[in-house]
Amino acid sequence: MIERLRVRFERMGIFPKLLFGFLFLSIVPLVILGYFANKNLSDTGLQAVQRAEEMGKQNLEAAEEIGMTSIEDSVSALDKKSTEAIELRTVELAARIADFLYERDKDMLILSSLPHDPEKYRHFYSASKRDVVITEPPLGGQEPSPLSPVQSSNPENRTEWRHRSPQQFKKLSKPLYKEITFVDLNGMERIKITDGQVSRNLLDISKIENTYCRAEGYFTHVKDLKKGEIFVSEVIGEYVPGWLSITPDGITIKQESAYAGKENLQGRKFEGIIRWAAPVHDDLDRKIGYATMALDHTHVMEFTDHVIPTEERFTVHSDGGSGNYAFIWDHRDRCIAHARDFFICGYDPSTGKEIPGWVSQSTYDEYRKSGLTLETFIRQLPSFRDFTQKKPACKEQIKSGCIPLDCRILDNAPQCQGWHEGTEDGGSGSFLILWSGLWKLTTYAAIPYHTGMYGKSKRGFGYVTIGANVDDFHKDANITKDRIQKAIAREGQTIMSANSTTRDLIRRSAEHNRKVITIIAVLAALAVIGASLIISFHITRPMKRLTEGAIAMRSGNYDQYIEVTSKDEIGQLAHSFNEMAKAVSEVDKMKSDFITIASHELRTPIQAMLLGVSGILGGFSGKINEEVRQDLELAKTGIERLMRLVSNLLDLSRIESRKIVLNKSETEVHEIVDRAVAEVLDLANAHGHTIVKQIPPDIGQIRVDKDRMVQVVINCLSNSIKYSPDGGTIIVKAEQNEGEMIFFIADNGYGIPSWAQKEIFRKFFQADSIMSQKVGGSGLGLTITKEIVENHGGSINCESPLPDGYFPGLPLGGDRKGAVFIILLPKSSSRHGQA
Amino acid sequence: MESLKILVVDDEAPISSYLQRKLTKQGYMVYTADDGEEALRQAFLRLPDIVLLDVKLPKLNGIEVCKILKSDDRTKDAQIIMLSAKAQSDEVQQGLDAGAVRYLCKPVGFPEIFEEIRRLHDKGEALKKGRS
Repeated sequence: MIERLRVRFERMGIFPKLLFGFLFLSIVPLVILGYFANKNLSDTGLQAVQRAEEMGKQNLEAAEEIGMTSIEDSVSALDKKSTEAIELRTVELAARIADFLYERDKDMLILSSLPHDPEKYRHFYSASKRDVVITEPPLGGQEPSPLSPVQSSNPENRTEWRHRSPQQFKKLSKPLYKEITFVDLNGMERIKITDGQVSRNLLDISKIENTYCRAEGYFTHVKDLKKGEIFVSEVIGEYVPGWLSITPDGITIKQESAYAGKENLQGRKFEGIIRWAAPVHDDLDRKIGYATMALDHTHVMEFTDHVIPTEERFTVHSDGGSGNYAFIWDHRDRCIAHARDFFICGYDPSTGKEIPGWVSQSTYDEYRKSGLTLETFIRQLPSFRDFTQKKPACKEQIKSGCIPLDCRILDNAPQCQGWHEGTEDGGSGSFLILWSGLWKLTTYAAIPYHTGMYGKSKRGFGYVTIGANVDDFHKDANITKDRIQKAIAREGQTIMSANSTTRDLIRRSAEHNRKVITIIAVLAALAVIGASLIISFHITRPMKRLTEGAIAMRSGNYDQYIEVTSKDEIGQLAHSFNEMAKAVSEVDKMKSDFITIASHELRTPIQAMLLGVSGILGGFSGKINEEVRQDLELAKTGIERLMRLVSNLLDLSRIESRKIVLNKSETEVHEIVDRAVAEVLDLANAHGHTIVKQIPPDIGQIRVDKDRMVQVVINCLSNSIKYSPDGGTIIVKAEQNEGEMIFFIADNGYGIPSWAQKEIFRKFFQADSIMSQKVGGSGLGLTITKEIVENHGGSINCESPLPDGYFPGLPLGGDRKGAVFIILLPKSSSRHGQA
Repeated sequence: MESLKILVVDDEAPISSYLQRKLTKQGYMVYTADDGEEALRQAFLRLPDIVLLDVKLPKLNGIEVCKILKSDDRTKDAQIIMLSAKAQSDEVQQGLDAGAVRYLCKPVGFPEIFEEIRRLHDKGEALKKGRS
């Protein structure tokens, strides 16, 4: 393969060689360089983009993380703020309630110090009033005012200026106390003010059935009170039932149920009292009875009933369903204020017994098995046992409508336990709880009122709790979060699009580079081709002329001159060639001249010798004896041989220098052969050879120089005669083939070794060197023959030994190897006889 | 019988004198010339029957001499034998075209020359007999 390429390369002309060389040296490195440069550029660019993308992604991720963290931080900060705000609100509510209750203590002490005079009592009653929000439709309050456009007159105050007009609720001034009494030491009411009037219906309150809801046992407690000591009761009121209808859409409240804010506006409200009692002494400090006041529990409920832990802040009608509301629990963890009044613990006024709290289904089932009454069962039920949301609520209780909330036993509401435990030390706080599928914040704060029995625990009067949907106070944080996420997404998109743009830019610039490199490569290729053309033109044109000159010289035309302008190696070569051609031409001329002159000068003495010798031999100089005749014959043979040599030399010299003109004419092939045969017949006969002519009678004519062609055939025949053992056969054959006339002169002579078959046509080839016998000859005959044939545009070859069977008339064997001269003459110079 | 007149034209004196000697011995009247001009002078003076004319001659070559002789009434009947070393057919043809009756290539032996002369002589005798 490589070898073949090498050979192919060697055979190429100078132009393709130069072209390939130049292209290889210039274009290939250029293209490779360009490719790598471009690749590196685009790779580097793309890597940069990738890096940028990664960095962008990382930045984005960082931003996202920071965003998320900051959102989380801000959410948690906001949560904390909100939580704190709600906690604060809870604590303040609890504090206000405590303050309110303490004020009642003062009222109590004042009342107990008053003389037991109905008028004074009535006056006290009338003076003790407090506003409550009217909830009954259509007297309901207004919707809270939206943020008003009120602005500060001082521009320096306008940053983040927030203003809120006061919330206007329709209110009713309501007596604080449902009842004020003076009871004697036996429990008999002596003064009683109800509804602003002095009541005549005085009862013995030592008997419980004469008390509120038949549930007040305060007389037993007040007997032990010393001067200045106060008794404060729990909240006592008639339980107002409610019926919940629990559907997959949520809880709805039946109309016949207790009031439940927005959820059931027309329902009956819970009504209850808290009884204050204090001993009354006379001027001598003798206990003469007891003053009591029954605080309308509405005033306590008012503290929480309109609280809403959202932007709204306050509402006329609380909304239990929203989960955003406040409620109050007493020191025994019983509900005493709630958006839904049927959750407030109360009594059955007909029996004076407490309505048992709502429990879980499992606990209720337990009760059913216990055989105890529900009241007894619940009373002995351990507090806060197995509280979990997993427990379903008791359906029987829902059905009965008696579902007051008693934290102690409300075992499917774990937050109750949280509040209880959180208020154990009288503190406040909050926690989150997943309630009804929503995260809720729930706060608690103990009501720091420690009078009477409320002083037994640090929890005091009880505790306020506020429930708030986390999502509601997450709102701001969520808005921020949404904004940050959008901003990050936008930023991400910007980065990605910027990267995509950069990537496109790099791709485009790479493409541009490729184009530029391609154009440069093409231009360079063209330039290289042009340069190769010019250079090779400068090399090959003189070379071609040199070659042509050399070919012309080979043909004997030595008068060659190559026009050269360049002074380079080619120019020098051409110059040398011209010099050489000139020298050769001169030498050739000298040779021709020499041969001509020498021939002529040789010829004259030869002529003289021949004339003399032939005259004597012809008997023109008198009779000669046999010995003289033989000697003169020898001389004549020498003269004739010398004569032929000179003649041949002259011929060859002329033929070689193209000084002969072929005198072509239409000549019968037979005539040529007959004349030649006739010329050599004597010689052939002398050696006992037979010449056989095998030529078709209608072979026709051939356009040749007759005499020269005869000479050709003679030379061939002479050769056959000379190089055959005596008594041989020589066949002269001629045939036409494809526009060619072919002559065969075949013999069964000694043959010619293959190495000499070309050499025999060379000048002065010494036939003796291949022959054992010495045969006379100038060594020029076949050379002249070849020249003549080639001058006719034909060719002559020699084959030996004879191919078997081709010439059946020539017996071979021994020394007789045979040889054949094959002369081809082109048809263009031949014409068929019939034509 | 009047002897035949032969003009031998050759620039080589030894050859022309040899031919003169031998042909005289054979009974011919032989004249010689060693260049073309001399050949014409001798021919117009002697009015030879046969001219042995070498082609290569100083001053005027044989072919030109032949043409002149053939174009002149005095010498147009002379039988001209051309002798030349130049065996090329074109020269032979030139010689024949110029009016030569024979063309012999040098080197040539005396017997061949004599043979030609005798043949022409015989032919001339025959013509003369025929005429008389």
